[in-house]
Amino acid sequence: MSFPKKPGGKALDVLQNLPRITLANLRPEPGARQTEKRRGRGQYGGNRSGRGHKGERQRGNRPRLGFEGGQTPFYLAIPKYGFNEGHSRRPQYHPLTLKRLQYLIDLGRVDPTQPIDLTQLVNARGVTIQPLKRDYGVQLVDEGAEIFAAKINIEVQRATEGAIAAIERNGGVITTSFYDPISLDILIKPVPFFVRGQPIPKRMLPGENMLPYYTSADNRGYLADPDKIQQARLALAQKYGYILPDISKDELYHMLAMRKDIRQIFFGLSPGWVVNMPEKKILKPTDEKLMKYYSS
Amino acid sequence: YLNSYMHKAWLGPSSLCCRTPGAPVSAAGLRFVSNAAPEDNRSPIIESTEEYKYVERLIPSSRIPTPPKHTGPTPSGWIPPADSPPSLPYMIRRSRMHNIPIYTDVTNSNRKLTLIRKVEGDIWALEKDVRQYLQEVTGKELPTQVNEVTMTLKVKGHFDKELKDWLVSKGF
Repeated sequence: MSFPKKPGGKALDVLQNLPRITLANLRPEPGARQTEKRRGRGQYGGNRSGRGHKGERQRGNRPRLGFEGGQTPFYLAIPKYGFNEGHSRRPQYHPLTLKRLQYLIDLGRVDPTQPIDLTQLVNARGVTIQPLKRDYGVQLVDEGAEIFAAKINIEVQRATEGAIAAIERNGGVITTSFYDPISLDILIKPVPFFVRGQPIPKRMLPGENMLPYYTSADNRGYLADPDKIQQARLALAQKYGYILPDISKDELYHMLAMRKDIRQIFFGLSPGWVVNMPEKKILKPTDEKLMKYYSS
Repeated sequence: YLNSYMHKAWLGPSSLCCRTPGAPVSAAGLRFVSNAAPEDNRSPIIESTEEYKYVERLIPSSRIPTPPKHTGPTPSGWIPPADSPPSLPYMIRRSRMHNIPIYTDVTNSNRKLTLIRKVEGDIWALEKDVRQYLQEVTGKELPTQVNEVTMTLKVKGHFDKELKDWLVSKGF
């Protein structure tokens, strides 16, 4: 439908017919402006001018904020405790709700027929990760678990139990994997990395504090035993009360079963390779020592 | 079940051994050659274009993709616009991300506003309809402001959910 746009509309018509606008013709809407109270000019603005009667109040000499007349003030009486100690060294995970994920899939920004990775989510502008602010990735939150209805192969950094249940109930696959900050930076922005011309590094393994999380099957960690993961899937299905669909009989089984190698950052590209984007080539090393290093 | 994929993933990186050597190193221009010809002693680098499709998957697209065809509301609550625009004297376009252009604003933490953007056609008819609809819903006469230059409509109070549902039911 094409509406001819008359800029200004009725206001412009009115303006053209009324007399010329000057400073004498303009006035604000009644009640829009409240005149300020001018202190020290007689009747109620005058006398003590709103300062009170004698003392520090009138003389403008009140003590600092928080002073309680000599009693130990609140901010000194309460003992210190390290609630926020080391906050800048704690790993942060950007939350991704299942509702937002479903919205991205519905609008065609994320392709459910391919494995969903953090790169795919960032390319869809679904999440914004800042590795320099101690972000270690994305965590899947189970808000919107009731409305979620998509069969996907997704890889996140953390996931709540409800989110894992919602994805597996729809016949999908979820994995939690670890990316160290350098690998994360490369994963989020692959193109500037390829432009640098450096070989793809191998992903580092998690530190001691995160290792138990990624080796446990309940969290679907990438270092966990596949048999235990299968048992955990059945246990979760029983706990949440749904029948676990059999993925091996699915037509997209090959895509759902795709998982990254422990040292791999991108699907299909191994560590050690150099990508040449202008000529659309990949350079692979054949030196024994390099191969041994990269596949360790 | 999931037993075999770990195997497949492990085989992936080691399969690149059995390839024929490609162009010599000096053609790639990656290594910094300080001496005369040290490259002949080192093993060659293989060039391949087969796995480039994986790289193409990683490149972000610069255009917003058109959403796939849905009949009716989607599980996430997004409703596509009607195929033909409704026959009303005004039209409200969808935003870049295919959503209804209704936004809320809060100033000084107590002044609430609802803003309807991207209006085309007769704004005053829209303003009349909005006022009448909100009168039915809330029972109050809400002040509205029409800006004919930017073609926007402001309503006092937060009514984004109600107005979005109302516009979607009209087919915008």
